[in-house]
Amino acid sequence: MLGFNRNEMLRYLGFRNGALPDAEMQQNIDRLTDELQRVIAPKSVAETYDVTVTESTVSFAGLTIPSRDLAKNLKGCVRVCLFAATLGVGPDRLIARSQVRKMSDALICQAASAAMIEAYCNEIDNGVGAEAAKEGLYTRPRFSPGYGDCPIEVQTDFTRILNTPKKIGLTLTDSLMMMPSKSVTAVIGITPVPTHHHAGGCATCTVKGCAFREG
Amino acid sequence: MSCKIPIDRKRMIFDGGTGTLLQAMGLKPGELPELWNLEHPDRIVALHRGYLDAGCDIITTNTFGANALKLGDRTEEVVHAAVRNARQARKESGRQDAFIALDMGPTGKLLEPLGDLPFEEAIRVYAEVVRAGVEEGADLVLIETMTDSLETKAAVLAAKENSDLPVFVTMTFDETEKMMTGGTPESMTAMLEGLGVDALGVNCSLGPDRMLNIARRFLAASSLPVIVNPNAGLPKADSEGNTYYDIGPEEFAAGMRDIAGLGVQGVGGCCGTTPEYIRQIISAVRDLPYQPPVKKNITVVSSFARTVDFGKRPVIIGERINPTGRKKMKEALHNHDLEYILSLALEEEDGGADVLDVNTGLPDIDEPSTLETVVKKLQAVTALPLEIDTSDRDAMERALRCYNGKPMINSVNGAAESIQKVFPLVKKYGGVVVALLLDEKGIPEDADGRIAIAKHIYEEADAYGIPRKDIIFDALSLTISSNAASALTTLETVRRIRDELGGRSILGVSNISFGLPRRELINSFFFTMALQNGLSAGIINPNNEAMMNAYRTYLVLAGLDPQCSDFIKHYAGTKAAVSVPSAAGNTGSANAGGSVSAGTTGGSASAGQASGTASAPGGASASDSLGSCIERGLDTKAIKIVSAELAEGRDPMDIINDELIPALDRVGNNYEKGIIYLPQLLTSSEAATAAFGELKKHMTGDDAGKAAGDRVILATVRGDIHDIGKNIVKVLLENYGYDVIDLGRDVPPEKIVDTAVREDIRLVGLSALMTTTVRSMQDTIELLREKKPDAKVVVGGAVMNQEYADQIGADFYARDAMATVRTADSVFGHSKQ
Repeated sequence: MLGFNRNEMLRYLGFRNGALPDAEMQQNIDRLTDELQRVIAPKSVAETYDVTVTESTVSFAGLTIPSRDLAKNLKGCVRVCLFAATLGVGPDRLIARSQVRKMSDALICQAASAAMIEAYCNEIDNGVGAEAAKEGLYTRPRFSPGYGDCPIEVQTDFTRILNTPKKIGLTLTDSLMMMPSKSVTAVIGITPVPTHHHAGGCATCTVKGCAFREG
Repeated sequence: MSCKIPIDRKRMIFDGGTGTLLQAMGLKPGELPELWNLEHPDRIVALHRGYLDAGCDIITTNTFGANALKLGDRTEEVVHAAVRNARQARKESGRQDAFIALDMGPTGKLLEPLGDLPFEEAIRVYAEVVRAGVEEGADLVLIETMTDSLETKAAVLAAKENSDLPVFVTMTFDETEKMMTGGTPESMTAMLEGLGVDALGVNCSLGPDRMLNIARRFLAASSLPVIVNPNAGLPKADSEGNTYYDIGPEEFAAGMRDIAGLGVQGVGGCCGTTPEYIRQIISAVRDLPYQPPVKKNITVVSSFARTVDFGKRPVIIGERINPTGRKKMKEALHNHDLEYILSLALEEEDGGADVLDVNTGLPDIDEPSTLETVVKKLQAVTALPLEIDTSDRDAMERALRCYNGKPMINSVNGAAESIQKVFPLVKKYGGVVVALLLDEKGIPEDADGRIAIAKHIYEEADAYGIPRKDIIFDALSLTISSNAASALTTLETVRRIRDELGGRSILGVSNISFGLPRRELINSFFFTMALQNGLSAGIINPNNEAMMNAYRTYLVLAGLDPQCSDFIKHYAGTKAAVSVPSAAGNTGSANAGGSVSAGTTGGSASAGQASGTASAPGGASASDSLGSCIERGLDTKAIKIVSAELAEGRDPMDIINDELIPALDRVGNNYEKGIIYLPQLLTSSEAATAAFGELKKHMTGDDAGKAAGDRVILATVRGDIHDIGKNIVKVLLENYGYDVIDLGRDVPPEKIVDTAVREDIRLVGLSALMTTTVRSMQDTIELLREKKPDAKVVVGGAVMNQEYADQIGADFYARDAMATVRTADSVFGHSKQ
């Protein structure tokens, strides 16, 4: 069982202002989240590298990423943990099936599995944080290709360096979509500078018009 | 026929890991190891020599990722160099007895429909590698570390179509003993035996201890030699950050001794193992006697994730995906309405089908391409194995080729022409083939004649090298009303197939009752009698209550439903229907399958929103109006109310105008005001669609014409393979009366524009989810402006906003599905505000 944040799922479903689903929909949500728990196969791979950060670039593992936003995120970091995580193809199959039966079921599966991959990444993130803490280090909010000015093309490098197709079955399409779709790649900065880790999420994102933006 | 590699006669030792050794020699993370064949041939030769000197029988070339998707036009050169390096090592070591395996791993892409790599493209990618390997003198093809069954099939077909070399296949399973896309040892064994590989098994990901049970499962299922090449346990990082594996050579060899003791025919290592591990394995297994593979008499078909075994309990094959005598199915095929076909499939699955028969044969359609498309779509939404049902050879081949597993094939018969047409395909692609017991002379009157044909078909199968276990005989049920003895002849034939031939049988059950009233009486009793005579499989309608009642009851009485648990699950708390209304055939089984709405309607937890419009006689509680059902998303209840209103003689168009449309307007307004949210908007739409579907059945041609709406094209643009957003928009547009031409996902600009021109479309909706695919959206708009300047474009999707939409020249940006409806209303002049 993968614990996940139900409020986040409701937010992805479009509920706003504390509105809750009625009993019938709640029953549906419960049934579909149970089914999702049965079909997910969470897998992840992570590696840690020394990092060099300038004003506008970040370099690690033989890779230099031109991104001011990432450089800002990683300012003061000595290492990064590069990780990739996926729930496997189970949610994609269930969503495809649900679209045939009932589109609202597909929407629920979509939202619930999005909340689940977030929860899984939080688990990984917390693990990295705990390891760093043992050395008296801190971690920065995780950062993914496509955030801010970080080019989405970096996705190709991340998946190659981590060998994600072989290790966890995470592949890219020609247009750089991740398949399985419920997948994440990200870097987590590791720094000796005390930092407020959970200043992440929507607050740090530069896409202001997003329908799912919190706060 | 024995394989050129003597794994069916003696135990073969495979080599160990490559990647870990290359890293130790200086390979950097992210660097392509295959390029070292050219850049550092000496190191690659040394690596192979290490294994040859350790005593292994098969070395694998350093070509795991050597394919055009990773190496582009250098592929051929790299593969040649790799095989050459292996040959050089063999020569230097004096081990001319050793074999060189051309190694092929996954492409690194996911195949359609999960990903964007077309199946035939995957075959081409592998074929290039195979041809180069053959030219350079590889002794066999080893397809390894496979994580997806369809990609595995592509690699095997490429190997077989481009070489005569033996083909070995090993796959990777996780700790739940599944492949990344769901394959199991049993499902993969079924498919690979069908494709005619020479040996199969497991490698990578797990250590020997965790592979023990996987090896057991392969040995229980496979008639072929089994290979086990584990990792040296799990990867760990030392204090310097270097990767090592946590099982040492001695412990590894002890684990491999246990595995060899189970009777596997090939052992070796994978990631983290070195020549020392191989040396230790060889000494650990030396005294264990070789056990040859054991032939299994299992009749089995498979999908990407599941097997159906014909020897256990009788198998239900759903018959409904077949246009013969089905008007709606015919229309669906003509109109390319795949959604209808897919929803039928899921209904059959819910009803209890084990396998789905798929027949798309109509005189005036392109059957080969239709059947291929339908098979591909079906295997994207159901894990049930399929029965490819066609008399068109091309259609059969195209469907068999893309099928993700080992299918059933329907059918061959005893006539020479049929055998010559069908058996070569069965031999090449694998499958359990339905053999009709008739020949050039027709259908024999008696069982003796039919059994004689069965024997002849067996002999022909032997000649083609098709195992007898893969033949299932159709004993043929003929209309009882024209020949009173026909049922008895069929039953005798079924019994003798089992008793005299030790074979399997199948029947298309419902033919028997043709021309008679109350056909389900005859059908269900005949089905029971056939089961009692040893029938292995019935082609029936699994949503027909009477048939499934007969089946479930038979299973209990035949001792095939231990503790009666399935029976109790289906019937506990139910009552026998007194009279069966025509539409009720489906409901019982649909409920059992977990249809949500049906379960929730009876509760009637609704507050007193009673209104006077409906007085549903004998229906569910009549306290709700159609409008409130739609607002609350109660689809089953909405249908009941509509039926009741129609029964009272109300005009369908009145119901639409007075109740359905106002309810939808309320829902839409509430959504826009933030009173309800997207999921509720959708469930309301679904309830309205259900109600409308019921109304449509009662509409005259005139009314139906009036109800036909303005037409809108929807497509997810090229490069974009997620379509849930577009599909939500479609549901809503249809609800508001629009006729949606859904072109699907990953649609090239030309197709969108051609359709717009041909159908004279005024509004095109485009969806894109990624910044990388907005470019295709722009291309589409530009082409549309050129070819169809009067068409308007509305865009949406995760990355879209007004600014972006303006930049790429769209006419409208819709922030969500409801906004798209409003946009359409304004374009077509339906705006109410």
